Amino acid sequence: MPSVKLRDVQVRIAGLERPVIDVPQLSIDAGERVAITGPSGAGKTTLINVLVGLERPNTGKVIWDKIDIFDLNEADRDGWRAKNVGIVFQEFHLFPGLGVLDNVLLPQQLRSFRSSAEHRMRAIDLLRHVGLTRLDQDAATLSRGEMQRVAIARALCTRPSVVVADEPTASLDKNSADAVTELLVDLSGSLGATLIVITHDSSLERAMTRAIFMDRGFVMTSEGNV
Amino acid sequence: MIPARFIWADLRRLWVGSTVVVLLIASATGLGVAVNLQERALRLGSARAAEGFDLVIGAAGSETQLVLSAVFLQLAPLPLMPGSILQKLSADPKVEMAAPVGFGDSFDGMPIVGTSAAFIDSRGHGKLTEGRIFRQISEAVVGAKVKLSIGDEIKPLHGLPDEGGHTHGELAYAIVGRMAETGTPWDKAILVPIEGVWRVHHLVDGHDDREEHEPEPASMTSIRIGPPWNNPPGVPAIIVKAKTIADAYRLRAEYRRDATLGVFPAEVLTRLFATLGDVRSVLAAIAMTTQALVAAAVILVCTVHLSQRRKQLAVLRALGAPRRAVFGLVWVEILILVGLGVALGVGLGYAGARIFSGWLSATSGITGPIALNLEDLTLVAVLLLIAAVIATIPAAMAYRQPTSIALRS
Repeated sequence: MPSVKLRDVQVRIAGLERPVIDVPQLSIDAGERVAITGPSGAGKTTLINVLVGLERPNTGKVIWDKIDIFDLNEADRDGWRAKNVGIVFQEFHLFPGLGVLDNVLLPQQLRSFRSSAEHRMRAIDLLRHVGLTRLDQDAATLSRGEMQRVAIARALCTRPSVVVADEPTASLDKNSADAVTELLVDLSGSLGATLIVITHDSSLERAMTRAIFMDRGFVMTSEGNV
Repeated sequence: MIPARFIWADLRRLWVGSTVVVLLIASATGLGVAVNLQERALRLGSARAAEGFDLVIGAAGSETQLVLSAVFLQLAPLPLMPGSILQKLSADPKVEMAAPVGFGDSFDGMPIVGTSAAFIDSRGHGKLTEGRIFRQISEAVVGAKVKLSIGDEIKPLHGLPDEGGHTHGELAYAIVGRMAETGTPWDKAILVPIEGVWRVHHLVDGHDDREEHEPEPASMTSIRIGPPWNNPPGVPAIIVKAKTIADAYRLRAEYRRDATLGVFPAEVLTRLFATLGDVRSVLAAIAMTTQALVAAAVILVCTVHLSQRRKQLAVLRALGAPRRAVFGLVWVEILILVGLGVALGVGLGYAGARIFSGWLSATSGITGPIALNLEDLTLVAVLLLIAAVIATIPAAMAYRQPTSIALRS
């Protein structure tokens, strides 16, 4: 399982004097569960974007197990992300009109067109695990809690080594939020994957092993939960 | 790669916009296809209508008018030639057949054309489907689309179909035969012996040497019809079939002087089509401009639409879609819409041309074959090719867009 190291990472936006994020050094070990917290505009999303190669920093290195992902060309970086990273969005981003199972299979199909039987079995297992049995149900007809559970199954289907979730519980009621928290921890734990979540939800934060607090682009504190 | 099911779900989700784009493309394509089909049909239809009319001889005047009247039955009062010309042509060894055509009467909006039995025989596809050729002055053969039955009797109305006038009470024609359909204005004509036309217009019947006299109604049925004529009255036009091509040219030259005019209808048609060709160029230019405008509108719609789905495309990238898959998704979706639009447009154009052709056939009698051919397929291929090239613009925009917005709310 890979660990990640950030060195002298800065993301700047033209016209802004201060960098959006400025992280001289940050390490996350393989298998860690990390909560990133902080006020709005602190640079949390930008940090995650940089960590998974969705946004190129102006300076610095992002090294996953000796590979600086920004040394890769864009196609290779896409390939690396597809292989190693599972993403859960705040607004789920399931594709309406596609069934639940098709949504889960989509990330792999985006690269190889057909999904293997093994992959399909895993998708069905995961969906059962998260409590969804109607595999052909249109994703648009699910409740929000169900949508996020499908999104978790989708993120974990390719057995990623890193799972990134952006406010995964923010738009859910308490019960659904708790269920999502449990699933994220359980499923990423069973893969031994590193779990990085942006959250304002204290119960999700408590389920993590480490909290990184950010403000105005800087990592202010980074400490293990007791 | 983007799975087909995803593309289908995507297009279904955007069905209103997709439908508008398909309809826009369909109407522009339809216009182009209809112009091509109709122009071709008109050209082939009128060329077909002129078949069998090798040489037309009339009194000196307008060539176009002569051909329009004698071949296309767009009747207008033509000056008459002396009957002696008919007599001379009938006896000419270069001539295989010389048939007079005389107009002046109509029945129920359909022209009554006086001619000879040889003319009906000579029409390439003029075989009778019913009955027989007229044998007496009071008999008539009708075109395929004339709504009269064998045995019906008609009284000619004086004047061309659009004019109207008094009914000729002195002569009635009994329908004895029906010609096969030719797709020409002759399908709606009533053919009678020329002697009948002469008679009802109080001319001599061309079979005696006496001067004009008023015929006795009682003697009408006993009059001999057909050649040889003796001192026939004037006729507006004579359709001539020459024995050889060289003979046809000789005859044309011979009758292109003094008071007569010999024309090859094909020649006059060629000239007409040159004019028609200009009209077609204008229509084609209009169709092409419409297509260009629609292409511009579609690019605009696609671009605006793309800006609305930046997030979706970024999410696909975040989920692992390679850039080329995002390019492909946008490109394929546009091509599907254009393909559907073009296919529908070909259908619309075909249907439009059929409808227009039906109307044209009802008014002028000229039936043109509406058929898609290689030229239309080329148009389709060119449109798809242009669309394939143009679609790379929004696809490239999708390809280049940043992935970082996937996680931003």
